[in-house]
Amino acid sequence: MRLRLERRDRPLRGGQVRAFVVGVLIAFAVGAVLLVLSGHNPFEVYQKMLDSSFGSWRGLSTTLTQAVPLGLAGLAVAVAGSMGLWNIGAEGQIVAGAIGAAWVARLGPDLAGPLLIPLMLIAAVAAGGVYALGPALARSRLGVNEIITTLMLNEVAIRIVRYLQNGPWKDPTANNFPVTPELPAQAALPDLFERSNIGLLIAAAVILGFGVYTARSAWGYELRVAGSSADAARYAGISLKAKIFTVLVLSGAIAGLAGGIELTGSSSRLVEGVGGGYGYAGIIVAALALMRPSGVAAVAVAFGAVQVGGLAIQTTGVPASIANTLQALILFGALAAGVFGNYRVVRTAAAAPAGATA
Amino acid sequence: MKRTSRMLLILLAVLAMMAAACGSDDEAEAGGSEGTEAPGGTEAPSEGGEGASDAKAAFIMVAPIGDAGWNFMHNEGRLGAEEATGVETAYVDSIPEGSAEFDNAVQQFIDDGYNIIITTSFNYMDATEQFATDNPDVVFEHISGFKMNDTNFGNTFGRMYQPRYIAGMAAAAASETNRIGYVAAFAIPEVIRGINAFTLGAQAVNPDIEVEVVWTSTWFDPGVEGNAAQALIDNGADVLTMHQDSTATGEVATEAGATFIGYHSDMSAQVDAYLTAPVWDFTPRYTEILSSAAAGNFTPESFWGGIADGIVDIAIPDGSPVAAEMKEVRESIINGEFDVFEGEIIAQDGSAITDADGNLVVDLQDSFGNDIGAVGDALNDGILLGMSFFVEGVIGSAEG
Repeated sequence: MRLRLERRDRPLRGGQVRAFVVGVLIAFAVGAVLLVLSGHNPFEVYQKMLDSSFGSWRGLSTTLTQAVPLGLAGLAVAVAGSMGLWNIGAEGQIVAGAIGAAWVARLGPDLAGPLLIPLMLIAAVAAGGVYALGPALARSRLGVNEIITTLMLNEVAIRIVRYLQNGPWKDPTANNFPVTPELPAQAALPDLFERSNIGLLIAAAVILGFGVYTARSAWGYELRVAGSSADAARYAGISLKAKIFTVLVLSGAIAGLAGGIELTGSSSRLVEGVGGGYGYAGIIVAALALMRPSGVAAVAVAFGAVQVGGLAIQTTGVPASIANTLQALILFGALAAGVFGNYRVVRTAAAAPAGATA
Repeated sequence: MKRTSRMLLILLAVLAMMAAACGSDDEAEAGGSEGTEAPGGTEAPSEGGEGASDAKAAFIMVAPIGDAGWNFMHNEGRLGAEEATGVETAYVDSIPEGSAEFDNAVQQFIDDGYNIIITTSFNYMDATEQFATDNPDVVFEHISGFKMNDTNFGNTFGRMYQPRYIAGMAAAAASETNRIGYVAAFAIPEVIRGINAFTLGAQAVNPDIEVEVVWTSTWFDPGVEGNAAQALIDNGADVLTMHQDSTATGEVATEAGATFIGYHSDMSAQVDAYLTAPVWDFTPRYTEILSSAAAGNFTPESFWGGIADGIVDIAIPDGSPVAAEMKEVRESIINGEFDVFEGEIIAQDGSAITDADGNLVVDLQDSFGNDIGAVGDALNDGILLGMSFFVEGVIGSAEG
């Protein structure tokens, strides 16, 4: 007997919800075994995860703050993903956005905050978009695979920061350590509540706005048509080249905004690690949202909670390796659940030719 | 699409309800531990664990603690200090610099009642300063930076150049080609100071020794560092040392049949070619911070300790032909009779930096052109902290 996945004729209605809940529950169960084996009480650990991420205003605000870059990066990936494009370069575009914002702060260090911050964020959006220009042109004009180009540019962005902090932007007051100068104090995003700043509002507006727009507008519809069938799109008179170009640059610009908000919101100077891995996490967020911008916000908050909870349990003595495994298990459970909503497992006869089981 | 959002909303609602149910009693716990500072004015806790105080110390590290290197030594120091003071400690590692995650970790510790926070990577500095301002009842110590305040925020670093000098002696005695390779991270004063001290120590044993430097512009990149080490071997070095966080240089040395002088920690278990290493020991310093903070009499300072303070040291390899001399130098550094940068110092180009009395014969600037010393000045800490020149016998550029 062999098992194979067979696409369902239509996604299961209640089944998908069930699969999702079951997937996450299985992850928690496997995680519990892991915790017991490593000498921790799983109930205490899970309670700590929940408490730290949702159990208080401060916890909720931490989760939401974490969800901001996750959500924007997830949106960036999902916007491209909804027309079948893979932007693996959100990480580099986040860094590019942060560089753009830091550059404005260098040019106008004495500008008032209400003027400086919007300019920094606009520069971040522009820098993210510009950083995606190359892959966008190469993909739309020459058909160069955007996965490779966007991925490779991630490393380049980090090297640019390294160059800046060792060279032209080196801080003369940092005891000769290779770091960029501190940002002016008024470049910090104003606080909203507890640990959140107004970056949360900006991100929420962008993510929810895009969610509604892509779901309701003709533009969003064209995206999905182009994503599911290039031929159908051409037949409908949609200009694929222009669409691919616009969507990839837009995707980069959204990631750039994440970089701008990270820099003005939670960093005191531009450092190599400003991307924080959010660009890569954004791919998971987008995948969990089934590449639909409208699903990104909820997934980002849930993902943010898992990250905040995962960090919080480390402060109680759970090693980082176990905490990270737990996070991965939960994400894997959720991702796998998405598969079972669309596919079912069927048994095939042992005699079936190998080719049939692919 | 609607289905997706709905199922996530359901999940979130369930999570939120569970959180609300669990949240209440935990908050009560957290509330209880707030504001319970150790009573001030008690005598400094003796060694061996008082355990009566409410002090709890948390350590934030930038990379996994691993089994050698910078973060490993901080964890050793944490464990040592915990044993010596009885103060409960915890740590998180792999926390990136300049990220919200650092803020989350520190805030979580503070919310959990930790009242001593030690942050161990350079770029944690600004955020640590901000937390110190926002949390006057919590003691903060930042390692390897230079910021502090008057009440609850200090910084710590070590005079690694002292054991580096002694390491240079061992290296020179082990070299037959009179050429030592030095895989270095960044051309910053800390690293340049170490290279100069190492070279002066080597020349004290053998005046003909040359030390070739290759910059990697990395703190941890085994590939790049291994290539740099190989280049030094190819140029004739038969002893290698490094200022990095990986053991890549040691592995190349082993393969080439060369001798390896490590850094950070005893790497004899990891590297066959290992001879000795200038090492960190944060236990004494962390013990001091934990016990003073627990007793309520923490006083911030800019601590730059040497071998005498126990924060840096080097194991003297018994087999070395200069073991006796190394021991002697170590003793005279400890009792203050000898200073690594005393006496006449000649720059890489053969010009004099200081005269026989150790006073500058030229004006000195750091790499930004800021004046750090004028003719006649003694070679003080300010000059050491801005050191941007190589001494005679170093091959390579001090500009990176």
